[in-house]
Amino acid sequence: MLDHILSILIFFPALAAILGFVVHKDSMRSYGVAVSVIEFALALFLWYSFDDGVAGMQFMEQMALIPAFGINYIVGVDGISLFIVVLAAFFTMIGIASLTDTKDVKNMIITLLFLQMTMVGVFFALDAIVFYLFWELSLVPMLYIIGAWGGPRRIYASVKFFLYTFAGSLVMLVGMLFMAYFYYQATGQWSFALLDWYRLILPENYQLWLFVAFFFGFAIKVPMFPFHTWLPYAHGQAPTIGSVILAAILLKMGTYAFIRFSLPLFPDAAVYFMYPIATLAIIMIIYTAMVAYAQKDVKQVVAYSSVSHMGVIVLGTFALNVEGISGSIFLMIAHGVVSGALFLLVGVIYDRRHTKMMDQFGGLASVMPRFATIFGIMMMASVGLPLTINFVGEFLSLLGFYQQSHILTLLAGVAIIVGAIYMLSAYKKMFFGEVTIEENKNLPDVNKRELIALIPLVIITVWLGIYPKPILGPINTSVESVVQLMHEKAQTDEAKKRIPNLAEDVVVIKTSQREAH
Amino acid sequence: MLSPVNISMESLNLMTLAPMLIPIIGALLILVMDLFKSGQDKSMYVMISLLILGIDFAALLESAGVFTKDGTVTGVFDVMLIDGLAILSQFIIVGASMLFIPLALTQKRFHEFAYPEFFALFLFMIGGFQFMVATDNLILVFVGLETASLALYTLIAMHNRDKSFEAAIKYFTMGALAAGFFSFGSMVFYALTGSIEINQIATVLAANNYADIGFVLVGVVFMLASFGFKLSMVPFHTWTPDVYEGSSAALAGYMSIVPKIAAFVVSMRLFEFLIHSGVVWLEVVLYISVVITMTMANIWALVQTDVKRMLAYSSISHAGFVMAAILIGTTQSNSALFFYWILFSFTNLGSFTMLWISRQKNLPAGQSSDHSFEKFSGLVKTSPLAASIMGLFMLSLAGVPPFALFWGKIYMISSAVTGGYTVLALIMALNSAIAGYYYLKLIVYMFMKEPVIVHKGDISATNATLSLKTIIGFAVVGTIFALIVANPLLEFITTFVYNSGY
Repeated sequence: MLDHILSILIFFPALAAILGFVVHKDSMRSYGVAVSVIEFALALFLWYSFDDGVAGMQFMEQMALIPAFGINYIVGVDGISLFIVVLAAFFTMIGIASLTDTKDVKNMIITLLFLQMTMVGVFFALDAIVFYLFWELSLVPMLYIIGAWGGPRRIYASVKFFLYTFAGSLVMLVGMLFMAYFYYQATGQWSFALLDWYRLILPENYQLWLFVAFFFGFAIKVPMFPFHTWLPYAHGQAPTIGSVILAAILLKMGTYAFIRFSLPLFPDAAVYFMYPIATLAIIMIIYTAMVAYAQKDVKQVVAYSSVSHMGVIVLGTFALNVEGISGSIFLMIAHGVVSGALFLLVGVIYDRRHTKMMDQFGGLASVMPRFATIFGIMMMASVGLPLTINFVGEFLSLLGFYQQSHILTLLAGVAIIVGAIYMLSAYKKMFFGEVTIEENKNLPDVNKRELIALIPLVIITVWLGIYPKPILGPINTSVESVVQLMHEKAQTDEAKKRIPNLAEDVVVIKTSQREAH
Repeated sequence: MLSPVNISMESLNLMTLAPMLIPIIGALLILVMDLFKSGQDKSMYVMISLLILGIDFAALLESAGVFTKDGTVTGVFDVMLIDGLAILSQFIIVGASMLFIPLALTQKRFHEFAYPEFFALFLFMIGGFQFMVATDNLILVFVGLETASLALYTLIAMHNRDKSFEAAIKYFTMGALAAGFFSFGSMVFYALTGSIEINQIATVLAANNYADIGFVLVGVVFMLASFGFKLSMVPFHTWTPDVYEGSSAALAGYMSIVPKIAAFVVSMRLFEFLIHSGVVWLEVVLYISVVITMTMANIWALVQTDVKRMLAYSSISHAGFVMAAILIGTTQSNSALFFYWILFSFTNLGSFTMLWISRQKNLPAGQSSDHSFEKFSGLVKTSPLAASIMGLFMLSLAGVPPFALFWGKIYMISSAVTGGYTVLALIMALNSAIAGYYYLKLIVYMFMKEPVIVHKGDISATNATLSLKTIIGFAVVGTIFALIVANPLLEFITTFVYNSGY
């Protein structure tokens, strides 16, 4: 079973979705929960059997698809992708479990299961075309979720979401084809396998162009400023479950792809573009934080804050050292947990009042104490309070970037304070003060189904905030190998200087240990 | 004193004619049968046509076997040229025809299928296209082209809508113009080189080092215009949407595939040597017309209110996309052309068939045209399966992996990359993104809107019969599982194209 566990993880939800067409709609919810629990258990089993000490790919599978053109089905998992997949399985599970009464619940669950296949597939794929396949395919279920279950402007939002990402990824596809062509020129063989590409060292000017081509695809997905405009619409119109999955998992595809593709394939270009991208990331952090402050709709606040934190992730990634990249991967997990939870919480209040406008609330803390507590914890986590999960990631990301530039890091740090301002003010508007609106006086507190989803998230938030090692360990091991690969591939002096050489450090540590003895 | 002509039958190699003669004999057979007993049911004619096409296909397999063994074969005073391109394109022509002809077995009665002439003309048309692709001789190309086109005009006119006559006349006029251009272009080449065989023309032109480049360009202009009409390249495309709208959906789908592959093969034979010999002007003109065809057709498709017209513009855009292969002119790009077109046949025939099965006899109130977008509004509520299948075809046309056209698309864009056409590759990619919008529009209508027109019964099945559903089944399987056949198909095509010297 272990030989094929990755394929099982990818295709089990899809198979279950197809079989789901037969299940009667009254039992669909239980079916969905059962399937997603099995999937999550499989993901946990993968984590359990994962060897923490190995930096490279594990459980690799390979199968020829179009060998004449170098396309193979190759999947594998390392410390970078493992936890995002576990997170994806987890969020699909609690997403389905806490699904409120929606119309066409059967179609919704089938769509979610298909979506899960594509999400898991993206993070396991080690062949560029297979990656692209899942990457594009993930748009279709999301398009349907937003377009069929969304708010009044859902069609505009869903089409905008689809077209933005589609256009970006087609540019990326051209980049991939170029990459394969360069590989063909160098070796005489077509290959889209990522591990083959890793061995290819390109001249700097090629790297720059290819980096830009890939950047379009990834940056739109993240979404980075100025490509972010589709996201607030998508979040604003999507149903709760759509926002949760979008924020928790789908956005991570972009930042994950930066680490998987852009950095190791084009280290010189990554160094070349480090400052421009860091600047964009900081604009993104500050600008969206300010926009978030101006929002009246609580879901938009959460949406913009989510974009803002994605900026920190990008910043950490482009620190190009172990601390920064590990921190950004950890922050991906943290951001997934926290923003997913926040969207769930907004969904809870939306179900009760059918409005998301903050001026419609006020004084909820006295009416819904449990809700207010959980919201408070998650908000603090989002702000980056120490001992919560976000803090670890943000701290490491900024620490990593501090080694590249002090001033930019300082700016990013200030921006995080702005984050605290808008979050706290949103919290104040919603939860403190007197209950002024009649309808709010008798709102029921969170019920059992919602607690099933929220309690585990609170536990994870606090637990990983205090003790991040079980996750940080494997991430670190894999990131070290990526950084080392980048250092070895780098050609320019600037890149050699910016990307630390870990092998040297090890030697230094060993000599110092020897001297100490 | 004339000496007697002495030619051995061996050297004529009459077997090269077999695949073309089979449909022609079949057509005559149908006419003869009608003489003996008229008024037979259409199902018999459909099945006879299908059987004849089956024999034709088997004959093609036979000549494919010969080609693999002996390479290119010529016959009948070297007029027939059976190379890899001829065989591949005939496979597409006959295969697509086999998928098309069962579409005549509709639920509703359409009077064109009551005439045996319909089927006879159909088979004549196939014979014409087969002649057109399997020769190097410009006169035979012309004869094949006209046989096929005249039959096709009549097939369009036989449909029972007012617009059908308009469409047929329009197509006829444009086609006559194109034929004129073609004959004039051939004349110029003949005047220059004293030959009407493309390879002879190439040799002679190369021998005198393109001394008369001015006249060559005149000839090229006429040829380009003529094929521009046939391939519906912008600005020669204006007939396409009207003709598609006027003809039945099934025939429109057929027209978007078969006549075009025949024209592609001829233009590949003709333009390839000109591009490779460094006629820069031709390259520039082709470049511009490829880009304009792709882009403008996409933009026009965005604003259509009728699904069939939208698909007409989309097929113009696909033709422009594929025309890029001739511009690039490498073995990879020429293989990509066939690869793309085979995958495109499945998806596009499938989507036109979906329109065909939902065709009503008369227009209900509130519906502006046969296949307006409103008709498909909220289709997922009334018939989820039909909506899913149509959505699948749309996603495939948009190039979403892992469906059929995606593989054609990446291979085509990759051939642009390898051929050194970086900007073209980007334009092709971005055009796919623009195209995404109008394919998505139909999906949005089907899945995300409420039904606006009240239909009696299941709209998607008004015209459906088992045979139509079977064809859709083929198209669905071909679209979803393209990935599995992609590798053998690609290897097969590449061998054939490579061994024909393209």
